[in-house]
Amino acid sequence: MNRSVRKFCGVIILAGVIASCGGSDSSPATEAPVTEAPATDAPATEGVLNVPADYPTIQGAVDAAVEGDLILIAPGTYSEAVQVTTNNIIIRGLDRNTVILDGNFELDNGIRVVGANGVALENMTAMNYTKNGFFWTGVTGYRGDYLTAWRNGDYGVYVFDSVGGVIDNSYGGGSPDAGVYVGECYPCDSLIRNFVSEHNGLGYSGTNAGGNLVITGSIFRNNRAGIVPNSGSYELCYPQRKTTIIGNLVYSNNQADTPAIDVAILAMGNGILSAGGVQNIIERNRVWDHNKTGIGLVPFLEDDPNDEMPEKSAWDMSCADSKKLTPVQPGGGILWDSQDNTVRNNVLEDNRRADIAVGSAGTDLWTLGNCFEGNTYTTSAPLNLEKLAPCGTPLSKDTGDWTAGDLQVITWLADQATAPPSVDWKTATLPEMPVFDSMPDAATAPGVVASATPPVVDLDAITVPDKIS
Amino acid sequence: MARRTRAFFFVGLLSFVVACANDDDGAAGHDHSKMPVDAAAVMGQPDRPIAGPQGGVGQFVVECPFSHALSDDPIVYPGDEDASHLHTFFGNVAADADAQLQDLLEQPTTCEQQLDTASYWAPALLDEGELITPEKSVAYYRAGLGVDPTTVVAFPAGLMMIAGDPMATIPQPVSVVAWSCGAGGLREELPPVCPPTRGLRLDVTFPDCWDGKNLDVAGHRKHMHYSSSGKCPSSHPVSVPQLIFAVTYPVTGDASQLQLASGSLMTGHADFINAWDQEKLQQEVELCIHRNIVCGVTSGRSSG
Repeated sequence: MNRSVRKFCGVIILAGVIASCGGSDSSPATEAPVTEAPATDAPATEGVLNVPADYPTIQGAVDAAVEGDLILIAPGTYSEAVQVTTNNIIIRGLDRNTVILDGNFELDNGIRVVGANGVALENMTAMNYTKNGFFWTGVTGYRGDYLTAWRNGDYGVYVFDSVGGVIDNSYGGGSPDAGVYVGECYPCDSLIRNFVSEHNGLGYSGTNAGGNLVITGSIFRNNRAGIVPNSGSYELCYPQRKTTIIGNLVYSNNQADTPAIDVAILAMGNGILSAGGVQNIIERNRVWDHNKTGIGLVPFLEDDPNDEMPEKSAWDMSCADSKKLTPVQPGGGILWDSQDNTVRNNVLEDNRRADIAVGSAGTDLWTLGNCFEGNTYTTSAPLNLEKLAPCGTPLSKDTGDWTAGDLQVITWLADQATAPPSVDWKTATLPEMPVFDSMPDAATAPGVVASATPPVVDLDAITVPDKIS
Repeated sequence: MARRTRAFFFVGLLSFVVACANDDDGAAGHDHSKMPVDAAAVMGQPDRPIAGPQGGVGQFVVECPFSHALSDDPIVYPGDEDASHLHTFFGNVAADADAQLQDLLEQPTTCEQQLDTASYWAPALLDEGELITPEKSVAYYRAGLGVDPTTVVAFPAGLMMIAGDPMATIPQPVSVVAWSCGAGGLREELPPVCPPTRGLRLDVTFPDCWDGKNLDVAGHRKHMHYSSSGKCPSSHPVSVPQLIFAVTYPVTGDASQLQLASGSLMTGHADFINAWDQEKLQQEVELCIHRNIVCGVTSGRSSG
């Protein structure tokens, strides 16, 4: 639906005329004169629909909503799987902790935004869904704010094949895959901020995602593994590249009793682990208490791929363009090496295999372009890693002994055989669900549609966060 | 007309002779005259094998763990317990020889999508006659290759489909029946040697064009057809989702000595009765296929 028609619908509602402007394909029902409606990026509360006062179900309100509408949900438990296909609506709970979408282990997604742009989900809890708590797919422009995703069967907060958004002040716990995930986008133009992710298989997973993708100010703890950007040809837009992981607390990701997909079991005991990711910036994080590495850059062996690996010269290609290419069966496994990542100014301690590490499955480490500088740390694999692989100059095999203290990441594959197995997400023991800060002024704040431009973060101003008690 | 019927009978008889010569353990009594010999001649086949990365075309995906194994076949031998070779059933827990649509609706399902109460089944994979319990199954629903996704409509309630040839004596086209390793990219005529991290998988691609009239016909084939060049033939004008049903087994390494309950490893096939919660099926078709949105992917990260 084009922009001018959208504005026109807004005007009709302001005029109090009932118009059939639902959905993204309708046209105005009247011929009232047009005046300029507010632009999409400005606050634009066209109408407010109350659940259950005006509509007994959230889905009922969503179906009735037109672009710009704000849906306010009163405290209560809603056993719904809500589908959203209308652009530019805001769905907000009046209280984060007591507006609960409960899937009862039967329903698939708490709220699924299917190809609808500009949809904001705010201030509520989704639990016990067989797939995801909150899910956007195929959208431009999204926002999740003050969301709690608890005990859902795939991901807590799941963003797939979408660009332009922010997940802020939110929580994901008890999922076998990741508490929060952004996948299949380049450039993603997305921000994950103030997120707490715990007791999941992975704290964060981002398959083939990056490009102006910032993860900051967040906590990843007590998962099997913390932050795991990764590449693979089972989904599009590989390799994973250009994610900025900055100013996070990442600790104690050794949890043996979480639900866990296989990759989480393989990655267990690592804080920040790039599995075949490239050109990421991992900076000013505080990372501690991991059985394996604090920050590790390792390869991902894809033994039955769907396509060949793109050449380095193609790492600039947008996701949209790469989707147009025809996959070519490589006829054998492919090895995604982590390459050209920068690990800088992090503070690490008590990561028992190595605080900082880089490993390969045979490729010479000095050819991979990963650099380490300014980190506060004690152990590395290989030894003397910052001397071997400083930033700012091309790597050389002559900077020292690259084999001493090798990470031997290949042995991790064998570890899987004895690794603690997954735990059923439906029955996993989770800590008592925290009571979270609710959104301020939820009842009165105007609804703001989700912008496709995420908030700008002053990266230079970020400092290494302190441990929290 | 009569002459054609005689020809079919003769050919059916021939295949009876051929198949009995190849009869393996586990293949219970077959009435071979009920099975058409050349499925491709009847239904066509896809333009090419459908494989490759997910995330490019609209789809919805349902993962359904193994439910039960019976020598029943609700489509080919309705009402006739123990009449067929051993099948492994996925999804609807109530599927058996007696199951009609009304017996399946609203029954429990193993599918993680609880509103997918359809029944999916495939011949049991056997190791010297012993059932290999499947690890899981995945049903992928997409528009057919090149088909305009906005033209796709949900299967009618109660639609019955078979894909693949249970009596094949030569390898079937991999665009219809293929073996792979987990959700990986291989599509082979016979089971490949799978690495420890990816179990052997049978991939069966169903036809995506319906005649618009029949939920089932004699021989269970002719009401369906595969699209070609993105189009359904005028005989089968209704575009329905292209179902790809994939069963993963906890089998790695050399699988060449295994058998299917229907016979050799070339006789891969699968069956489907649409007993979905029809409203949910229609919703998924509208939201995900029409609008070309990826509503879910099967994780390539899990083994199988």
